[in-house]
Amino acid sequence: MDEVITNQSLNKSFGKSLLYTLPMFLITFAFISGGRINFSDHSGILAILLTFLGMNILYFLMHYTGKTDKFRAILFIIFALSLSFTLIKNMVAIRHSMSFSQADIVECKIPFCHLVIPMMILPAAFTKSIIFPGTILGGFANISSMVVLWLVATIVLGRGFCSWGCFYGGWDDGFSRFRKKPVIKKISGYWKWMPFAVLLMVALTAAISLTPTYCSWICPFKAVTEFEQVTSVESAAKAGMFISLFGGLVVVLPMLTRKRTQCSFLCPLGAINSLSNKITPFIVKIDKKVCNECLKCVDVCPLFALTPEDVKSGNVSVFCSKCGKCVDACPRKAIHYGLKGIPAGSMKNFSRNIFLFVSFLFIAVFSSGSIITVLKSIFNLFI
Amino acid sequence: MLDTFILGLSSGSTCLLTCGMVIFPYLMAGSAGTRKIITDLSFFLLTRLVVYFLLATLAWYFGKAILTSAIFRNYVSGILYILFAVMLVWYSISRNRKPDCPAKIVTTVNNKKLVPVLLGVVNSLGFCPALFLILTNSATQGTLARSYLAFLGFFAGSSLYFLPLPLAGRIRKKKVFETVGILATGLAGIIFIIKGITNLIGGIING
Repeated sequence: MDEVITNQSLNKSFGKSLLYTLPMFLITFAFISGGRINFSDHSGILAILLTFLGMNILYFLMHYTGKTDKFRAILFIIFALSLSFTLIKNMVAIRHSMSFSQADIVECKIPFCHLVIPMMILPAAFTKSIIFPGTILGGFANISSMVVLWLVATIVLGRGFCSWGCFYGGWDDGFSRFRKKPVIKKISGYWKWMPFAVLLMVALTAAISLTPTYCSWICPFKAVTEFEQVTSVESAAKAGMFISLFGGLVVVLPMLTRKRTQCSFLCPLGAINSLSNKITPFIVKIDKKVCNECLKCVDVCPLFALTPEDVKSGNVSVFCSKCGKCVDACPRKAIHYGLKGIPAGSMKNFSRNIFLFVSFLFIAVFSSGSIITVLKSIFNLFI
Repeated sequence: MLDTFILGLSSGSTCLLTCGMVIFPYLMAGSAGTRKIITDLSFFLLTRLVVYFLLATLAWYFGKAILTSAIFRNYVSGILYILFAVMLVWYSISRNRKPDCPAKIVTTVNNKKLVPVLLGVVNSLGFCPALFLILTNSATQGTLARSYLAFLGFFAGSSLYFLPLPLAGRIRKKKVFETVGILATGLAGIIFIIKGITNLIGGIING
């Protein structure tokens, strides 16, 4: 059996890993440089070079070591931090504050994020209107580009978007890695259905009130991006809600449980993305012939996507975000990235290579802008 | 009306999956086809509407008689909202929940023509925290028309789930729908807790 496990190892030789990295190297170079590098901007060139090299080293290491999650997490967490930094920097430059006023709402100057999408669907279908005070095209973080990006990523990656594309997920992913062992070990699987209840509530309340209710009252990430100016008891209550949900679900609970609790118990977009897992070609599979049901994958899964029953039946649930944590943790390599239509246990390397290429390319292209901005700001302090 | 509609929508799915499973076989029993089911369902829903309007009238009358001052109304509604909403949240997180439907009582009635009407009466009088919240909401409305609208919102929200009742037996993942419905009910409870706190603060500031 040991030989079987060795044969199924996902790591590659140095040369082969370099060869696999070459296409990513070329494509990310084209995207990141944009074909118009300003050589007189020294801090800009340094930021681009560091981003480009850093990303490709991470991708190379995924192939060379055969591990996925820890290298993905580095980029994912940096993406979350840099995006918040970029957004706040932009807001401060435009408004001199992290908060927005009623005038900004009236003038449709609020940056759009993908969490609004679940609330837009019903009003857009029935009233042909977009219930968000942002710009449709052009400007910073416009609605159309974000919707298209999310749609493409969700169709291709399914809930993989939550671990390879969401610029908020890195926050609770990061905090969930703070402790080596969880303090709270047993959490009922009952709560993983909460995002669907939140989705039901926010979609209905948004459709009836024609306002993005999740953004107005619940979104924890308002605490690290932008929020309504506190001018009344109501706006103070909203700010309190954002901060307490961020503190509870994004910082404290992930640290205590080693799980991504905000993504698991609150995010309504995560619920939609879970459903999209049904159509994506990429899935995580369990090879029942190799699996000895040690349940290490169940312990490490940050999104409660695996239960002992799932392992027994050999099916990974729709909650899976394809982060790769279970794949890395499995001592027998029984759980692996797969493609629909191909039986579990076969073409493991081929499936992983394709999935890694697509998902890494997405996060690399999506995150490069904000990472470069952050690095440039840091270098500007010294150069 | 908006908040009561939301409450109806959130608690309606749970109502369908607990009571629907009791109601459905009785609506189907001895039926000749879809027309009979639709007729029975119409009687069932109409009865619910009539009972809700009666409750709205009673709630408005008692509200008008007892809650005479606006400040007192804010205090009482605030406290009752918080109380019943906490019950609703507790219901959604409690593990000892009993998914029994009060409409089971009707199983003893032999007259099949009366069954949909009696089911409607018993279903609407199933005194759950959600109904207590609506009664509080209705009692604190200024006019009878607004009281009716509050119940109408609840009726519309909760009735939506009964419309495809003939298909209820074919739902494959009943447990999932039930869980999501119960959790959504808990979230609706949180909305009413916030509403209750707002009413209390309003009462304190105005008092």
